[in-house]
Amino acid sequence: MKYLISFILCLLAFTSCVDEEQYSDTPRGNFEALWKIMDQHYCFFDYKKQVYGLDWNSIYDKYKVRIYDGMNDDRLFEVLGDMLGELRDGHVNMYSSSNVARNWSFQEDYPSNFIDTLQRAYIGTNYRMTCGIKYTILDDNIGYMYIGTMENSIGSGNIDDILSYFELCNGIIIDVRENGGGLIDNAEILASHFTNKELLVGYMQHKTGTGHSDFSAMQEQVLKPSSGLRWQKSTVVLTNRKVFSATNEFVKYMKCCDKVSIVGDRTGGGAGLPLNSEIPNGWNIRFSACPMYDKDKQSTEFGIDPDYKVDINKTDFLRNKDTIIEYARSLILKGKYK
Amino acid sequence: MVALVFISLPRTVFAQKCDTIPDNEITTSVKMLGIGATNVLDTYISPEKYTGREIRFISLVNKIKIGSRWSTMMINQGDVSYTKNRSSDGDEIAGMYNFAYGYHYNWTLCSGALRLQAGGLADLNIGFIYNTRSGNNPAQARCYLNITPSGSAEYDMHIHNRIYMLRYSLQLPLVGVMFSPNYGQSYYEIFSKGNYDHNIVPTTFMSTPSFRQMLTVDFNICHTTLRVGYLGDYQQSKVNNLKTHIYTNSIVIGVVKRFQIFRIRR
Repeated sequence: MKYLISFILCLLAFTSCVDEEQYSDTPRGNFEALWKIMDQHYCFFDYKKQVYGLDWNSIYDKYKVRIYDGMNDDRLFEVLGDMLGELRDGHVNMYSSSNVARNWSFQEDYPSNFIDTLQRAYIGTNYRMTCGIKYTILDDNIGYMYIGTMENSIGSGNIDDILSYFELCNGIIIDVRENGGGLIDNAEILASHFTNKELLVGYMQHKTGTGHSDFSAMQEQVLKPSSGLRWQKSTVVLTNRKVFSATNEFVKYMKCCDKVSIVGDRTGGGAGLPLNSEIPNGWNIRFSACPMYDKDKQSTEFGIDPDYKVDINKTDFLRNKDTIIEYARSLILKGKYK
Repeated sequence: MVALVFISLPRTVFAQKCDTIPDNEITTSVKMLGIGATNVLDTYISPEKYTGREIRFISLVNKIKIGSRWSTMMINQGDVSYTKNRSSDGDEIAGMYNFAYGYHYNWTLCSGALRLQAGGLADLNIGFIYNTRSGNNPAQARCYLNITPSGSAEYDMHIHNRIYMLRYSLQLPLVGVMFSPNYGQSYYEIFSKGNYDHNIVPTTFMSTPSFRQMLTVDFNICHTTLRVGYLGDYQQSKVNNLKTHIYTNSIVIGVVKRFQIFRIRR
């Protein structure tokens, strides 16, 4: 018995606390906590160092001097928000009870290439709608569906119904302009109706440690064909700079499919699956955690180029025409795709 | 025909009647409720600690055959906690079910006043931690199986012509396996894409330095044996560069029943 008691006492001796450093709820403590959360969890440091020279240690020195005891919450929010803005990432946000820190330069620095009054001229008011997808048949027998968000769950049966409605059309336009993302599963469900075979559409990985380069092996992203209806004619996907996150993934998938063309502006990007954390004062933090790549292992964090770069021009605007929709219609009517 | 009756045993010798056949096993069953303070940390969800209240139900069943030194122990316990972070802006709800089964060797010392048990348990824990405002990683699944050395000591004290039984028990996981996402891995990768990456992790007492201990006293009131005391449950892990701990300090109260099953011939 004495051996057993000795053994249990040894186990107790090895029992130590598993704990995490808690920063104080002061401007300095919140700054340190935020910098460390990003330093250990954010997934694009190496990539952004290559692209525009981001150096997170220099960012620490740059913003540390802007923190002082007694600064009020608004001022602290501004400084911490500016620091996060250096990451140039639409998936990086800080939420207080009164504000959201963000860097939306991926869309704000570019023409919108979407005017809802122009879109109304095409879709009218008598369109059909399911799962937030508006759809109708244009007067030249081209199906048009507008997906403004990926937040609503989309079922494969919903897409079957839409494609059935478009059955006799010459081709379809999928307009995802202004779509800032949502559920990544939606991207896969939608795209699965536009391929007849399994496609390698990209890669994904995640962090395995606190270092900036600690990543898992890249895992293949494979798009499987839907067991429901699969569209066999021309498809054009319309994009602009507000296409972000899960919708960016949708465009990435569609770009791998046959008879599909991407028309419009470069997408906004957002290729990091986000996770959340928080700092001592309770402000919630969102950041990119799992990077995703295209089929050539290139990051899509800063967007995907269209096959046909088209902007809405002023002449068309004055004629109440959407240049991008018109271009897509002409591609379909000519039977042309990438 | 054989029927079963349950006879409470206030630690006495059993008189065998000619029409009954006693089962050769004495069962001690304890049902307890606990309420206490808890401290929750899971760095997959947040680096902040959450503190609050926890309630717990514990069922212990100990069986020993007369004349044997080996006994079996079965533990079922479940707990639910509600906690807040220090800014009170965030809430977490955590729950855990624990099932353990094992064997103990028994010693009786000091003319029966001191009884010791030592042995081991197979110890399964399944639970969750849910953060009510964390949009993309709101929850953490908790699942681990351990081989857990355990022991207890019971001592009968006579105070003012009454018997009080002081009891201390301790469980220390030695080795096991645990489910955990990898450091920055999303549940989307694990469950939607099937991209596993060290998600079933072998553990030892170094990576999961946990223990449960309970100090209680039993006493009789109105032909009922009550058990009151303190429970300390310290579950910790450090796997895949993720840290978790759930520290709970509770007051427990419950009822103890010792009985032997008699088969009656009619």
